[in-house]
This record gives sequence, structure tokens and C-alpha cells, in this order.
Amino acid sequence: MIVDDEEMVISSIKAFLQLETDYHVQGFTDPEEASRFAEKQRVDVAVSDYLMPKMNGIQLLGRIKEKQPEASRVLLTGHADKQSAIQAINQVALFQYLEKPWDNAQLLLVIQSGAERARLFRDLKTKVNELDSANSSLKSVQKRLLEAFL
Amino acid sequence: MSSPAAELHQMAAVGRLLAGVVHEINTPLGSIFSNNEVISRALEMLCPLLQQGTPEALESAGRLVSTCQTLASVDRIACERIRSVIQSLRSLSRLDAPEPLYVNLNQQLLDTVKLTNAQFRRRIAVETNLGELPEVRCYPQMLNQVFLNLLVNAGHAIEGEGTITIRTRLEGGLVHISISDTGRGMTPEVQARAFEPGFTTKAVGEGSGLGLSISREIVEEKHGGTIDFETRPGVGTTFHIRIPVEQKRSAP
Repeated sequence: MIVDDEEMVISSIKAFLQLETDYHVQGFTDPEEASRFAEKQRVDVAVSDYLMPKMNGIQLLGRIKEKQPEASRVLLTGHADKQSAIQAINQVALFQYLEKPWDNAQLLLVIQSGAERARLFRDLKTKVNELDSANSSLKSVQKRLLEAFL
Repeated sequence: MSSPAAELHQMAAVGRLLAGVVHEINTPLGSIFSNNEVISRALEMLCPLLQQGTPEALESAGRLVSTCQTLASVDRIACERIRSVIQSLRSLSRLDAPEPLYVNLNQQLLDTVKLTNAQFRRRIAVETNLGELPEVRCYPQMLNQVFLNLLVNAGHAIEGEGTITIRTRLEGGLVHISISDTGRGMTPEVQARAFEPGFTTKAVGEGSGLGLSISREIVEEKHGGTIDFETRPGVGTTFHIRIPVEQKRSAP
């Protein structure tokens, strides 16, 4: 997911990712629309601008974190926003912070490792769930055993 | 105007302005860099596809070409954005002519707005209602500094989102410029001291407290005009500047 109120940024990054990867890329100029999207669809990596109308990038990434904690959150910001952005970074446990003008190779690396991280988190979640259900079936077996012997 | 404090104030204002301009240029620049790389890469991939010549290869080639076309038009928009920022910067930084020039103040205001937009764009809407004006004999760069000071102050007065409205009209032999904000307004204490050199409501390091006193000097001493304001706490502030179209001491 790429969110920037500048259409040109979305067009450029989208074209780049489509050429170099087989990721499914969704672009939004409206952060509220991006937030609604994250309610319904899986997001592995969210790359967001900082200064946008209605909602800044940190607020948006915070909302995405609530809905999909596994999604890797990346801030892509212009120089003028730097200070306020750095102050807010801890709030949303940012995966990576990038500055404009961005470097495509670096952006790709960040997105790839972000996607990998999201996949690992999801795997972990599945494994934990499996362990939980194995644990509860073990418990019920144990209970039945106890009942049978006592 | 040449006191060290006034010069420092101007340098600080220019510094803040430049930070906004850098941001305004970095976004389109990022796009152009990225697009350039993608287009080169697409062209690299295009040659082998065309040599293969199979229907599938030609279809992929077609997609690459349309990507390049899209990016070329994005580049054009990005370049135009950079050019327009640089044009307004250039027109604002014209060296002060020793003699006054005839300029259209509407144009000066629009150029100043374009630069402050880099700081305001996503938070504050700037509306303009510009009447037809004759060319005014003035020191344009000094007046731009006044406009910049007032716009920056207006932006500071607005917490969160708001609107700045700029109006101009000709009233007899005077050009009347008003700059209104929907900000917090000024308390009676602030009103009384607003034009006092060194008085500021901004945080340490954010304002020198000289903006309005310098503005008054430029408008009154250099142009024989007037500057005053009306304000209502919680509603907003309007600054009025009136400048004679022809100034007596510099009339031809």
C-alpha cells in the first residue's frame, strides 16, 4: 500500500514495483480511504507520506497498526517534516523511515524485507494458534484420562 | 532596515521559507529520479522482447511502452512543478533595485503565496480575491517581505486547519491589501504590543519579534502607506495595508 497526497509519487512507485516485483500494489491519495482499505484487505507493507490533508502519516500508520499489527509500517517523508516525524516514530513502532527524494533500490529493499517480516509474523501467529489448539486438545485428553482413572 | 537584528530576522524568515521550498522540490525530484530509472530498465527489457517477436513478447513490450508513456507525462508534471517553485523564488529574490519599480502587487502576492503554500498547503487553504490594480511604484522585494511576514504570522495563528484570505482593491489613489486569518486572534495585551520591536508570542527560536515592526517601517517609511489590523480573539485577525499608487517623494 502506497499513500501520498501527490499522485505523481504513487504513479512512480507503482510503476517501479510493477516492473521489478510481482507485488500487488494499491495506491491512495486519501489517507482515510487507505485506512478503510486496511479494515477489509490484507496489507503486508504500508508506505505513507507524512504531511497529508485530513490525517498525517503517523496517524494513518497508527490506525493500520490497530487493524493489522503484522503490517510493516514505512514513513516516506519530505525534509521539512523530519523533526515532527521523528518525534512521532515511536508511537507507531515504525519499521523504516525514508526520505524524499527516495532511492528506488533502497525502497525496494525496505519493501521486500517489510513483506518478509509481515509474512513471518503471520506464520508465527498461525503457529501460535495451532499450539493453542493443540494445548487445549491435550488438556481435554488429560481431563478425560483423569476422569477415566479416578 | 540594516540593523543586525533586522538582518537576522530576515535570514531566519528566508531559512524557514527555504525549508518549505526544499520540501516542495524534493517530492517531484523523487518522482523524476525514480521514473528515470524505471524507464531505463524498461528500455533494457524492451529490446529482447522485440527481437523475440512472439505475440506474448509483443504484448509485454506494449505494456512496457505504455508504462514509459505514463512516466514521461508524470515527469513533465514534476518538472513543471519545480519550474514554478523556482520562478516564484526568482521573482521574490530579485535584488532590491536602488530605484523603485512599477509592479503589479497582485502578482507579488501570488508569488509569495506560492512559496508559503509549501508550508501551508495541507493544513491551511489560501483564498485570494484580487481586484484589478494599476502598477504601483514601489520596492517590490521589501513589500514581498511584508506579505511573507503577514502570511507566516497568519499561518502561526491558525491551529490545525483554517483559511487565509487575501483581498486587494483600488481605493482612490491607494491600493488596499487585506490578509485575514481564521486563527486565534490577539488578546488586548498582544494588540497593544503587536508592532513593538522584539515582542513575540511565538516560542523561543521560532520568531524574532521583528516581523511586524519591520513591516511597519517598510510600509510607512519606505512607501508612505499605512498598516493596521482588526482582531477578535477566537475568530481571527485581518491586517490592512494601504499603499499609494504614486508616492510623493518618488513621483516622476
